Amino acid sequence: MADRRRKPPPPLPLHLSRNAILSCQILAARKLRTLLSMTGVVVGVGAVILMVSVGRGAEKRVLDRIHSMGTDLLIVNAAPARLMIGRERTVATVTTLTPADAQAIREECRGVVAVTPAVNKSLVVIWEGNNRTTTITGMAAEGFHIRNVVPGSGRLFDADEDHSRQRVAILGPTVASSLFPGNDPVGCQIRIGGVPFSVIGVTQARGVDANGIDQDDIIMVPLETAMHRLLNIPYVHSIYVQARDIPSMPRVESDVRALLRERQRVPPGRPDSFTIQNQINLLKTEHEAARSMTLLIGSVAGIALLVGGVGILAVMLMTVRERTHEIGLRRALGARRRDIQTQFLIEAALLSGAGGLLGVFAGVLAASATAAFGLSDTILSWPAAAIGFAFSVTIGLVFGLYPALRAARLEPIAALRFE
Amino acid sequence: MIELENLTKHYTKGALTTEVLRGVSLRIQKGEFVAIMGASGTGKSTLMNILGGLDQPTSGSYRLDGVDMARAGDDELSRIRNQKIGFVFQQFNLLDRADALRNVMLPLIYSDDDAGSAARAEEALAAVGLAARKHHHPSELSGGEQQRVAIARALITNPAVILADEPTGNLDSRNGLEVLAVFQRLHREGRTLVLITHDSGLAEHTRRMILLQDGRVASDVAVPQPRDAAAELARLAPTAVAKQPELPAT
Repeated sequence: MADRRRKPPPPLPLHLSRNAILSCQILAARKLRTLLSMTGVVVGVGAVILMVSVGRGAEKRVLDRIHSMGTDLLIVNAAPARLMIGRERTVATVTTLTPADAQAIREECRGVVAVTPAVNKSLVVIWEGNNRTTTITGMAAEGFHIRNVVPGSGRLFDADEDHSRQRVAILGPTVASSLFPGNDPVGCQIRIGGVPFSVIGVTQARGVDANGIDQDDIIMVPLETAMHRLLNIPYVHSIYVQARDIPSMPRVESDVRALLRERQRVPPGRPDSFTIQNQINLLKTEHEAARSMTLLIGSVAGIALLVGGVGILAVMLMTVRERTHEIGLRRALGARRRDIQTQFLIEAALLSGAGGLLGVFAGVLAASATAAFGLSDTILSWPAAAIGFAFSVTIGLVFGLYPALRAARLEPIAALRFE
Repeated sequence: MIELENLTKHYTKGALTTEVLRGVSLRIQKGEFVAIMGASGTGKSTLMNILGGLDQPTSGSYRLDGVDMARAGDDELSRIRNQKIGFVFQQFNLLDRADALRNVMLPLIYSDDDAGSAARAEEALAAVGLAARKHHHPSELSGGEQQRVAIARALITNPAVILADEPTGNLDSRNGLEVLAVFQRLHREGRTLVLITHDSGLAEHTRRMILLQDGRVASDVAVPQPRDAAAELARLAPTAVAKQPELPAT
């Protein structure tokens, strides 16, 4: 039997390119089988790309929302939080938060650039027989900057109008389009809870906030007007606090908490009588959820790719068996074990690599279709495509290794006799 | 060229050891045309495999062109098969999906010296009289033509020896004679040829007959009057060589 008493150091495979040409010819000669054996890899890579694109689309949506809301924002709500349907919500009416608290935060907490108290109430709004129930927010002019409110048409109110309790209103686009279908609301008179207001502006659309609430279904009026001419209350519902930057937020949050506990005389050890909502924390959770979804679907697709690898394994084993005689011939004509191994490895890598390429194509197509049909936002990820392709070639090499080793281990005489 | 010294080969299957070769010694000089004969089971296939570097002896020594074959490793044997030995098989062993030219070029894939491989393949095909058929696939060639393509494949590396195992076994007499005529011409050109066969008619076309019996050399004689395949072919059908008969593949 062929033993290897003298084993020369293995030189680099000299015939790599020639082997590759050979493998291409062989694969091309068996089109149907080649195509079928690639299917698993095509589906796997395609799914990886589609899923990662969809996942990244979802991630971007969350990030966009963070941006639209202002990320350096803390919201102090007047009531302690309770868990409702999985989210923290403030429910009870608490009358302890006042504009003076806001003033104190502005003066005493470092790292705070802007503060605005706010009141909110759901009221009926009427214009020429159209009516709609919407959220009325009373806020100081300073709040426009804090809450990223930009006028789409008309103008915003200023601090003087606030202090003089003018009855002016700024509509969100949702309210504007439902109350004034086809009309420009600026300059019109509306009645909010029976009180006449003149519309001075419409904001630009801001979309949905982290709680899934339409931020454009809103009417903004001056804080003092809202407190004294609309709701007749001496307290506020919430205070918006804008920190200097994102890194200073944790300290601002703890400073605000300490100050308010002191002002409201909460004994140590008792829970807060108010809630501080940190937008970043809320969105971080969502962002992480979106990310882990991307990872999850990515790994499911990865499993599909592994199954594709098993398909390659099966086809390569079949090919080696079918071509045993040919392997014997090649060995007789001077092919070393290494040459045979390389040839079948290249063939497997070509097979799954071609499948990967088709898969990239299919995945990009599917992702574009998903976006075009409005099923989901997708962001094509070229790194994911590259990784998917590289992974498919690797899978070909890994799953092709065993068949290639089997081919290389065949004894030439036995292989030649094999029919 | 070929030196065998007390060569033995045993096969062990379980507790059973079969002695196939029991001490074969022989020398074949460069330029000889030899037939190794024997009934089936006399060890001639085993001897052919050892001569061809496809198998190794249990004991004894085998030197081919100065190389100690019994001590060569697998990679070295592969290299020797590629460079020093040209195989011609009973079943031709051509690749169906490749044309004649590509089949002839096949050994060069595994050679370090593959410069001008297409030109060399055409030359080799011309040497077996098939220059016009270089783009035919094996299925489009007659049995004799297929075997001549196989001979061209054996020639392309310019080997030290051509080993042919029952080269006419799958051919009718006309095609067999065509192949033998090619062998005889190669012999006249100075090549070393070893035929393994059980067919004494075939052996009569060579110059030396070695008869194996029970794993030993029973006789080793010169052929007194070698037959001339080309002349027999001409007698069989005077126009045959000129018109290249189209026979169905066997």
